[in-house]
Amino acid sequence: MSTLTLKGPYWVTVRQYRRTLWLVAGGVLLSLVSMVWLRYWDGQTVGTNQDNGHAVLRVAMDWAATAMMVLPLLVGAFVAGPMVARELESGTYKLALTQSVSPARWLGSKLLTAGAVIVPATLALIGVYRLGWGSVAGTWSFLWYAPDTYVSTGPVLVGQVLLALGLGALIGQLIRRTVTAMALTGLVTGLALLLVGQLRWSLMPVLTGTGPLNVGNLFPGVPASSWQGGYGLLTASGDHLPAEACWNRTKEWDVCPADLNVVGQYWEYHPSSHYWPIQLIETGIYLALAALALYAAFRVLRARHP
Amino acid sequence: MTRDGIALEADLLGKTYGGRSRGWALRGCGFALPAGRVCALVGPNGAGKSTLLALAAGLLRPTEGTIQAPPREHLAYVAQDKPLHPRLSVADTLRMGRELNPGRWDETAAQRVMADELDPHTLVRDLSGGQRTRVALALALGKRAELLLLDEPMADLDPLARHQLMGLLMADAAEHGTTVVLSSHILTELEGACDHLLLLHGGKIRLDGAVDDLLAAHTLLRGPVADLAPHTVVESRTTGRQLTALIRHEGPIEGPWDTQEPSLEDLLLAHLRTTPEGVPA
Repeated sequence: MSTLTLKGPYWVTVRQYRRTLWLVAGGVLLSLVSMVWLRYWDGQTVGTNQDNGHAVLRVAMDWAATAMMVLPLLVGAFVAGPMVARELESGTYKLALTQSVSPARWLGSKLLTAGAVIVPATLALIGVYRLGWGSVAGTWSFLWYAPDTYVSTGPVLVGQVLLALGLGALIGQLIRRTVTAMALTGLVTGLALLLVGQLRWSLMPVLTGTGPLNVGNLFPGVPASSWQGGYGLLTASGDHLPAEACWNRTKEWDVCPADLNVVGQYWEYHPSSHYWPIQLIETGIYLALAALALYAAFRVLRARHP
Repeated sequence: MTRDGIALEADLLGKTYGGRSRGWALRGCGFALPAGRVCALVGPNGAGKSTLLALAAGLLRPTEGTIQAPPREHLAYVAQDKPLHPRLSVADTLRMGRELNPGRWDETAAQRVMADELDPHTLVRDLSGGQRTRVALALALGKRAELLLLDEPMADLDPLARHQLMGLLMADAAEHGTTVVLSSHILTELEGACDHLLLLHGGKIRLDGAVDDLLAAHTLLRGPVADLAPHTVVESRTTGRQLTALIRHEGPIEGPWDTQEPSLEDLLLAHLRTTPEGVPA
């Protein structure tokens, strides 16, 4: 983190936020050291998951997954508050914008610096999470499609922090009050992530399996690690009926009235091989939204400052 | 871009904060400040001085009209509250000036303002108001601008520092032909240093011109009450049968009055007392 080779507004940004930079570097390093130590402790007892090391690792991974979900909100709040709104609130922007640097370069250098720190830090944290995940993956609450694990293990998180960065740059300028801008950016980022998250399993066509009626909820041919979506009854014409369509009439799950023409059941699922395509599509959505937010942020900047 | 020989020019300049119905901070301002002048921008509190300077610095967009100032690289601006990054040291703040003004930063000029008065490792947040002013002025002078816009620059300084910095500023401006606009509501701060005057009152320019011309165009007279036509009366007061008036004279003054050239203070007070309050539409 040498400031010697940095020039112009980049030097100023790094100098201004050097404590935060050290904090980020320290945080990433600390999480890496902790995770290596936890894995080492867990590895001391081979062949069982019933040891203290494994139990502590699971708890730590729970916390880590929550922290990773919150990471984009923290990034957005920091960009909106201390990096943008505070300059406008305290008037230091008057200093920056009357030097020989254009407003776009001023904001651009701030955001590029932030991005150049946040993206590698996020990738490092994903690496750390995956390091711990190696020991608990596939177990309850750490399946690949569990919302926090899904976000913490792939590029989606990078897309999310970049979207938070863009929203922070926009909201920080619009609100111009440090604390309010931080809170609002956290809220808007959270909502945006929630909305996109809702679409996650529709981003790729599900696979559909079919089978006879009398197998209950044990879907033959669906890998156990799959994300399971809707299921129901299948008619001779290929139509889908709700799972309880027969039970409603016959009070039996596997006895169907003849007029329904039920020939079996269907189930929809994403096999674990869909992990990467869905991750990449969702990341693309976040990146597109981030680009929109950044475009708006620079439009606002240009409208305000000639 | 500005015209040749004109450092700062406004035409029908108006600025309102948050909607035209909320009142105008400035309206219908027009002036042309010749390059190389040291201009006092005076007016009571709330007259629009800071708004005018921020418009000139390019920090605000005019609501209407135009203001023509040199581009960002060629002007320096010190805001009234002397904003600086509180967690940077004095040395880092000056380094910032160098980083953000590549190719034009003049370390010698900046250090002349600092005058070894401050420990470079002190954080800006630990500085007094006067010390902050010194750092802000060092940043402005280090930039080697054609136009210096200083909003109430001397307000926080003790008399000694004020005298020293004012002298330095004037010498620097004279040496480099810099145009300087200094705002203040305390005239004595600027008298003697400035050769141009802009009087702003209620969002409008009330006086604009070289100090010598303005003084020569006005006359202070005392004597019996009588018709003062064809002269323009700026302000007149009568005590018994005695008349005291400040006039802008049209031709020679003929009458039974004692006449004298007004001081700058007489002139300003007369204009401030008689111009209507509030902002005319």
